[in-house]
Amino acid sequence: MSRRFGSIVALERISLAIPRGRIFGLLGPSGSGKTTLIRIAAGALSPDSGEMRVLDHIMPDRRITAHIGYMTQAAALYPDLSLRENLNFFGALYDVPARELLARIEEITREVGLADRLDSPLQTFSGGMRQRASLACALLHQPELLILDEPTVGLDPVLRRSFWQRFRELADAGRTLIVSSHIMDEAERCDELAFLRDGRLLATGSPDALRAQAGCQDLEDAFLALAGALPAALSGGHR
Amino acid sequence: MSRRRVLALATRIVRQFRRDRRTLILMLVAPVLVISLLAYIYRGATHHVSLAIVNSDASPVAAQIVAGLTASQSLTVKRMSAADAERAIKRNDIDAVLTLPANLSLTGSTPQTLTVTLEGSQPNTSSAVLNALNQALPNTIVKAINPAGVPLRLNPVFLHGGPQFDQLDYFAPTFIGFFAFFFVFLLTSVSFLRERIQGSIERLMVSPLSRAEIVLGYMLGFAVFAALQSIVLVLYCVYAIHIHYTGHILLVFFFTLLLTIGSVNMGIFLSTFARTELQVVQFIPIVITPQGLLSGIIWPLSSLPGPLRILAHVMPLTYANEALRGVMVSGDRLSALWLQTGVLVGFAALMVILAASTLHREIA
Repeated sequence: MSRRFGSIVALERISLAIPRGRIFGLLGPSGSGKTTLIRIAAGALSPDSGEMRVLDHIMPDRRITAHIGYMTQAAALYPDLSLRENLNFFGALYDVPARELLARIEEITREVGLADRLDSPLQTFSGGMRQRASLACALLHQPELLILDEPTVGLDPVLRRSFWQRFRELADAGRTLIVSSHIMDEAERCDELAFLRDGRLLATGSPDALRAQAGCQDLEDAFLALAGALPAALSGGHR
Repeated sequence: MSRRRVLALATRIVRQFRRDRRTLILMLVAPVLVISLLAYIYRGATHHVSLAIVNSDASPVAAQIVAGLTASQSLTVKRMSAADAERAIKRNDIDAVLTLPANLSLTGSTPQTLTVTLEGSQPNTSSAVLNALNQALPNTIVKAINPAGVPLRLNPVFLHGGPQFDQLDYFAPTFIGFFAFFFVFLLTSVSFLRERIQGSIERLMVSPLSRAEIVLGYMLGFAVFAALQSIVLVLYCVYAIHIHYTGHILLVFFFTLLLTIGSVNMGIFLSTFARTELQVVQFIPIVITPQGLLSGIIWPLSSLPGPLRILAHVMPLTYANEALRGVMVSGDRLSALWLQTGVLVGFAALMVILAASTLHREIA
């Protein structure tokens, strides 16, 4: 599929398949089209041409929104409400049964380490805490597919590691995760990867396969080698 | 104090605002627009009192009075049947009805009393009518037909209100509508803009929430505040400042809420055209102020110059004001206010459609 914004080409004839029950990483510098791709997958945007199928539905399709958890780049929650109020709101939007909601909120806030801050307004949270609150909101309805747009950006190494542990647990439990990042070190933790640059798909495959394809020891070198295969005129970000 | 730092700051501010064309234009255009409206209202306003004469007398005396009043500069006189006149004054087409009884004679020595029926809810108009008549009447009764100099007296009858009515009784009902309209618009557009700025609108759009649910949820949420506001305002008006009040209180809330539905959706719709909260505030002189001036809150519609009167009839607040005033001042029932109800329902429906189509664009 393709998508442009005015004269800017955000995605240029991208075609890829994302396997279920795996962590799929979208890797690329800022301006490479990761967020556009992710918004199309989440149903927040339509492609100009081509189609996005999620869980056998052509997006955007409201019937499957309940099976998708979406974490936007910014926290995108209500800063004047407490964490509990935010979670209650999203729980109701996604039809989490009222009987389960309380238990689930407690469970999920324990997992992200915010149990003691449940009743504080989000505007008193630090950046890292907001990211965790945002993840909690995306996980609350136990979606089959999680779409996370740079979920670890701005997190300290300890938190980042705990996020990735959580992602692995979710994948082991059969969930599908699409995670975008521009940090190569995170790419190693994905089962499958897509390298994006300037709206084009450079390569897809497991980290090992990509290294082998580029003939490099290091994933970052592999990305640069594969990116170098592009004509010079197309390199350089456009945002 | 460093001149350079001060200048740097000032230059930065000028640079920032120079790019914000809309703010600049509005700063210049809005005050001019508002003052021209005011000037137009004051300078162009008709000071004529329109009077219907119901003449049930064939005597030369009656004919003389009719001719004399018709010739008067400060009065616009129409001759009407009693039934027509009653209808016209209820519709506010005329300001007063002068009834000339049968057997009007000025031959005896008993003073003659003429009945003037006034709409009564607008004290300014009432006193203008009585002044004009008191000036014009004595000139019409020339010596030839009133040799004995029998005194003519005016007996004012008020349809609503009356001499105990003051300006406040006339304003108060419309204030309830105006404030609900204004605040709900402002709150909705700001909070909708915040959804967009903080990105939560995207989360709503990819959730199972439908557009209809968003519109309905917003409406319901703000209806709570609008209802609360009008309850406080109505109670305060009736019990604390003793506004005269005749109609059914539930109808006041009905019309306020109807107006609020339109207002919420107008807020959602217009917030699309604003990127900052400052730009939302800029809608006030365009959307709110003209309605405040022209919808009959302060100046009755009949005193507006023709073109402005047409403009006023396009504004939803005009109909809300008519309805609220009808209920509180005249004690009108819903059946008498079908036009106002219809227009307000139409306005709400139009705004719901616009708001929903805005949300559609949000997905793009």
